[in-house]
Amino acid sequence: MATTKSRNLPLSKRGFNFETIMWFFTRLSALGIYAFVIVGVLGALIVSAQTGINLANLLRWAFLPNTTSGLFRDQPWIWALGKLMVTGFILLVSAHGVHGILEILDDYFSSPFMRRASRNAIIVFFLVANAIAIYVIWTSTFIGRR
Amino acid sequence: MSLKRNVNLFSALRYKGYGPMLAYLLHRIAGIGLFIFLTTYILALAGVGFIYTLYANWLFQVLVLFCVLFHAINGLRITILDLWPNLIHYQRQVIRVEWFVFVAVYGFAVFVITRTALGG
Repeated sequence: MATTKSRNLPLSKRGFNFETIMWFFTRLSALGIYAFVIVGVLGALIVSAQTGINLANLLRWAFLPNTTSGLFRDQPWIWALGKLMVTGFILLVSAHGVHGILEILDDYFSSPFMRRASRNAIIVFFLVANAIAIYVIWTSTFIGRR
Repeated sequence: MSLKRNVNLFSALRYKGYGPMLAYLLHRIAGIGLFIFLTTYILALAGVGFIYTLYANWLFQVLVLFCVLFHAINGLRITILDLWPNLIHYQRQVIRVEWFVFVAVYGFAVFVITRTALGG
């Protein structure tokens, strides 16, 4: 079996360009998403300890914190924290996601024109989708003050 | 910027990359699945109602859960190997650990979902 050389290239030799920044961002955003998941599930576990909810509701609490619940009605900071959590999560997930899609598109588009077009399209998608998401998150009564 | 693709689809499917290749393919497929899910999720938030009917289907939930868990666990492996490049020599062992964790977590989750869906 032929020996294969591993891609063991230190960060200092990779060059500091857009691709390196996005490579680093993809890894860091993934770690950020894990952090959000851990904080969300821990928060939901605290709620479940007080309300005795089941696993499905626990996960729902983790990702769509229902701050209209009577449990937190007298604690307005929960309202802001819940919305900030969901907004941060959506922004991080969509940024990570659109860059992943861009990497896949780059593998299939070789011409500079198509690559530029796909980048522009994905940036427009990112802006529109997040504008809708943030508007809904901050105006809905589902995750907000009743 | 100029990628020359000299491998056609048939050759690509015959490529024997085994574990790492399978993980690479599933990571991309799961990522695209999650991207579609996120898009429909935002549409549902914006008021497109019929999407909720799809979300209520337990088969759909099992599929989404596969995408979420595989992408998350495989992504953690990729991040660890990228941030500590010396571990790349143990790549195949790490992939075996990854599959073990995935099967355990996903198996339990599918069991819970199907038991709830079938009224157990």
